[in-house]
Amino acid sequence: MLMQANGMAAPLKVVIVGGGTAGWMCAAALARLLALTDYDITLIESDEIGTVGVGEATLPHIKTFNDMLGIDEAQFMRETQATFKLGIEFVGWDRPGGRYIHPFGTFGEPWAGVDFQHHWARAVQAGQDAGPLQDYSYAVAACRAEAFEFPNEDLKSIRSTYAYAYHFDAGLYANFLRRWTTVRGVKRIEGQVVDVAQNAGTGHVEALTLKSGAVIAGDLFVDCSGFRSLLLGHAMGVAWQDWSEWLPCDRALAVPSARASAFTPYTRSTAQAGGWIWRIPLQHRTGNGHVFSSRFCDEELARDTLMQALDGPALAEPRLLRFQAGRRAKAWEGNVVAIGLASGFLEPLESTSIFLIQAAATDLANLMPANGAIDPRLAAEFNRLFEIHYDRTRDFLMLHYAANARHGEPLWDHVRAVQLPDSLAHKIALFEESAAAPDYKLGLFSRDSWLAVLVGQGVLPRGYNRLADRIPMPDLEAKLRDLKARIVTNAATMTPHEEFIASYCSGVAAAASDTVYAA
Amino acid sequence: MTTPISKVVVVGRDAPLWLAAATIRRALKPSGVMVEAVELPSALAPSDVHATLPALEALHNQLRIDEAALLRATRGAFSLGQNFVDATGRTPAFLHPYGAFGTAIDGKDFFAYWLKARRYGLGVALEDFSLTAAAARQGRLLIPDDESEIYGRSDYGYHLPAIPYAGVLKAAAVHDGVTAHLARSVDVALAENGDIAALQIDGDRRVEGELFIDATGPEGLLIGAALGVGRDDWRAHLPADRILTTSGPAFAPVPVYAELRAWDGGWAGVYPSQARSHVVQAYNSTLCGDEDALRGAVSTTGINLADAVVRASDPGRRESAWSRNCVAIGAASCVFDPIHSVDLHAVQLGLIHLLGCFPASGSFAAQRAEYNRITRLAFERVRDFQSAYYVLNRYGGTFWSHARDADVSPALAHGIATFRSRGEVAPWEEESFAPDSWRALFIGHGLAPDSYLPIIDRTAPDEMKAQFRRMLGFVKEHVLKQPTHDEYLGRISGRAGG
Repeated sequence: MLMQANGMAAPLKVVIVGGGTAGWMCAAALARLLALTDYDITLIESDEIGTVGVGEATLPHIKTFNDMLGIDEAQFMRETQATFKLGIEFVGWDRPGGRYIHPFGTFGEPWAGVDFQHHWARAVQAGQDAGPLQDYSYAVAACRAEAFEFPNEDLKSIRSTYAYAYHFDAGLYANFLRRWTTVRGVKRIEGQVVDVAQNAGTGHVEALTLKSGAVIAGDLFVDCSGFRSLLLGHAMGVAWQDWSEWLPCDRALAVPSARASAFTPYTRSTAQAGGWIWRIPLQHRTGNGHVFSSRFCDEELARDTLMQALDGPALAEPRLLRFQAGRRAKAWEGNVVAIGLASGFLEPLESTSIFLIQAAATDLANLMPANGAIDPRLAAEFNRLFEIHYDRTRDFLMLHYAANARHGEPLWDHVRAVQLPDSLAHKIALFEESAAAPDYKLGLFSRDSWLAVLVGQGVLPRGYNRLADRIPMPDLEAKLRDLKARIVTNAATMTPHEEFIASYCSGVAAAASDTVYAA
Repeated sequence: MTTPISKVVVVGRDAPLWLAAATIRRALKPSGVMVEAVELPSALAPSDVHATLPALEALHNQLRIDEAALLRATRGAFSLGQNFVDATGRTPAFLHPYGAFGTAIDGKDFFAYWLKARRYGLGVALEDFSLTAAAARQGRLLIPDDESEIYGRSDYGYHLPAIPYAGVLKAAAVHDGVTAHLARSVDVALAENGDIAALQIDGDRRVEGELFIDATGPEGLLIGAALGVGRDDWRAHLPADRILTTSGPAFAPVPVYAELRAWDGGWAGVYPSQARSHVVQAYNSTLCGDEDALRGAVSTTGINLADAVVRASDPGRRESAWSRNCVAIGAASCVFDPIHSVDLHAVQLGLIHLLGCFPASGSFAAQRAEYNRITRLAFERVRDFQSAYYVLNRYGGTFWSHARDADVSPALAHGIATFRSRGEVAPWEEESFAPDSWRALFIGHGLAPDSYLPIIDRTAPDEMKAQFRRMLGFVKEHVLKQPTHDEYLGRISGRAGG
C-alpha cells in the first residue's frame, strides 16, 4: 500500500535552481533523507553558467555527510582527487613570521573535570616550562609530520583525539554527487532560468521559464543560484546584510599549480599585506588563491603576490572572483529557500562554505513542508538556525583579523581597530581574563577551535579556572610531560600523507567506481 | 585588588545557604579558598519539601553525600516524575517522567515515529514507552543498568523534607571546613568603591570577605537591599501569587512520583516522603482567599491537611545575579513559580556556573558578565518551561483561563509554534529540560502537531511496528524486575523489605 506521509494529498514538487556544490549537495541530501514518493525533486542547471568552485577545503562534518549518503570513501577520494585535511596552518596571521595550526582535534584532555587549557595556563602562569599549547595536540603533531592515519576507535587513546576532512576538487565533487543523485530519482533539467513567475497575492514563486521556453512549476523552490541569488534576492527581494566593514576582503584570484613536493595533510593560509593566500594540496595539483580587499590592495599587486607565492608552475591564468561578506536577512522567504552563496558569503578562511551548505540542506530535510502547504512556522525555525550558523561563523572568522600584530599595514590596522560585535569582544575578554573558551552547542566552532585561534593569534590568558588547583603542581608537570611524550611517540609511527593516499586511493580496483550507480 | 580571592562569605538560610557554602568549599579547598557561612534564622516550616530534579544527584556526589544516608536522615523518598491531573476529570492526566521516551530507530528520535504511528491509529500513550513512567505507575523504582541505558535515559529525583535536608547539608559543609556563624540579623558594610566590605552580625561581630554570596532568599539582603540591583518582574508570565504549604500523613506505600492536581482555584501538588505527604497549593489571591485555597487543597487531594503556611509568590529575575563582588544564588537571584519544582535546580545552576566563572584574579569583569549572560539564558529557559505549563492548559476555572492569557516570551512562542507545526522541540543554548520533558508537557496538554519529521518515512512501516512491539515488551518485562519503592526504601534504611 502506498500512503503519502504526513497526510499529503500529492507529492510536493521541489525545484532546485543551480547545479554547483550547493545544488547537488542539497539534492543528494533530500534524495537520501526523504521518501521520494512524497517529494518530487528536480534540479535545473545550466552548462553555460560556471560554478564558483572555490570551496576545495572542507571541515570534518563533510565525512558525516558522505557517510549519511553511504558513499565509499576511497572511491570518492579517487574521483575527486581528494587528500586528507587535519587542520589549517596560519602563517603570518598573528604577526609577520608567526605560524600556528588550527587542528581538527583536541588540545590535551580534561583532568579532574577541568578543561585542559586551564591546566596549561596554570603551568605557564606559574613559570613552568609547559611549552606552547600546540604541543598538546596530536593532530598538530600529525600535520607537522605531514602524516596521516584514521582516528583510533579506542577513545582513551591519544590517537582518537581528532577528526579529519578533505581537500577536493569541488567541481569533481559536484559531478560525483550529480551521478549519485540522478540515479536515485532526482530529475535533472539542463537549462537557464530566464523568467520567474510569482503569485500576485502571496508573492510565492509559481514557475520558472527556461531559455528553451519550458516552464517548470513547483511548490517549493531551492535557490542554489550562487551570488546571483536569482529567487531569494531578486524575485523575493530579501535584503542583504553587508558585513564588509568587519570582513573587508571582497576579491579572490584563484590559480591551480603543479603539485609540489610538500604534500601537506592541511590547508595553508598565509597572511599578505592586502589579504591572504590559500594553498590546498590535491592529488593531481595544488589549488591556490589570493583573497584580498580591493580597498587595500589592487588587482595587479594581488596577482603578482599570488604568482610569486606558488610552489609549482601555474597551470592556468588566475581567475578573478568578486564577493562581499554578509548574508541575507532570511534564507527562507515564502516558498523560496536559499542555500549556499545565494543565502550568504563568508570568505573561505576556515573552509565553512560547504559546511554551511550541509547544515542548511539537513535543516531543510527536517523542516520540509508537509501537508502540501508552505508553513511559515517551519521557515521561522530554519531562519533561526541559519542566523546562528552565519553569525557564529562570522565571529570566529573575525577573530583571525581582530587579534593581529601586523602593525603598519593598512588592512591589518583597519581590522584591528574595527568595532567588534559585542558577542566577539566578550569572548576575547573572557578568555584573557580566565582561559575560558567559547563552548556552545549550536553551530560552528568548537571550544578547541576557538582555543587554537585565540592562542594562535596571541590572545593569552592572565588567569585560569581555579578548580585546576586540585592537581598538585608537581603532578601537573608530570602529566604535561607524559602527554607531550605520548603525542610525540605516537605521531612518529604515522604513515606519510603521500604514501597513505597512494595506497588508500589506488589500492582498490578502479572497476569499483561503478558502485556509485548501485541503488 | 588583583590577588586571587581567598575568602568567600555566604549569607542566607536553609538548603541554598548550605548547598552554596559546601559546594564552593569542596570545589575550591585545594585552591586555598576559605568559606564562612552566616546563617540567618530558618524560614522553613515542617511541611516544607524540596522536590528535586535528577541533576542534584551529581552535586550530592561531589559533596560526598551518600544517597542512603541522605534518605535515612531526611526520611525522604525517590521521585520518578510528576503526574499532572485534571481534578475535574475533563482532560486526561499525563506524566512528566525523569527519563526518555522509547529508543531511536534508524538513528532518529523515537518521538517522531510515535507521532506518525498515532496518526495511523496507534492507541498507545507516549508514557507507555517510558521505563521511568511505567515504573512510577507500578510503584517501583527504576535503577538504571546497562540494559535500561541502551533503551533510554532513566533518572530520578527526590522528595526531601526541607528541615532535615538543610541539616544534612550543613553537616557536610562544616565537615569540609566551612566556618559557620549564627546570626539573628545582618547589616551590610560597603567599601568606598561601593563593593561589599563586610557583614555586621547582630550589631557586634564583623565578617569580612572578598566575594559575598547572597543566599538570603527573595528579598536579596545583599544584592537587592544593599546593592540596589532591580528585578525583571515575571508576574505577567505566571498566574499564581500565593503558595500555601501544608502536609498530611504519609501514604503507605509511598508513591514514587509527585502528583499535581488542577482544580478551578489553582493546583495542589502532592510530594510524598516517608515522613509525610507534603502538599503545595498555588493560587491567585485576587481569585481565591487563603481559606478557600486550603479547603480546595483538602478536597482535591483527599488528604487530611495540617500546619498550613501561606507565602507570597513573586516570580522574577534579578537584573544581574552578580553585581560588584556579590553573587546572588537561588531565590535572591531568581524567584520561580512552584510548578515543576525548580528551586533547588536554580540554586544548582547558579553554583555550577559560579564555579565555571569563579574569579581567576581580583579583576573579573568579563567572568561576571559571562555569569550574568549564562544565568539569564538558563533562568529564562526554565521560566519558559513553567510558563508553557500555564499558557497551554485546558483546565476549567478562572485561574486557568487567566493562565492561558498570560504573557508568552518570544522564545517560548517560537518553541510552541515549531512543535505545533513539526512536532520538533527547537534547540536552545542553556536548556535545563531535555526534549522529552518538553514533549511530555506539549503532548500532555493536548498539542497535536500538524506534521512529523519527514525523514523518518525512509524507515519501513513494518520495521517501525516491530520496534514498537519490542520496546513495549522490554518496558513491561524490565519494570517487573525492579524493586518496589517501599522495598528499596526499606533496604537502604536497614529494615527488611516490605
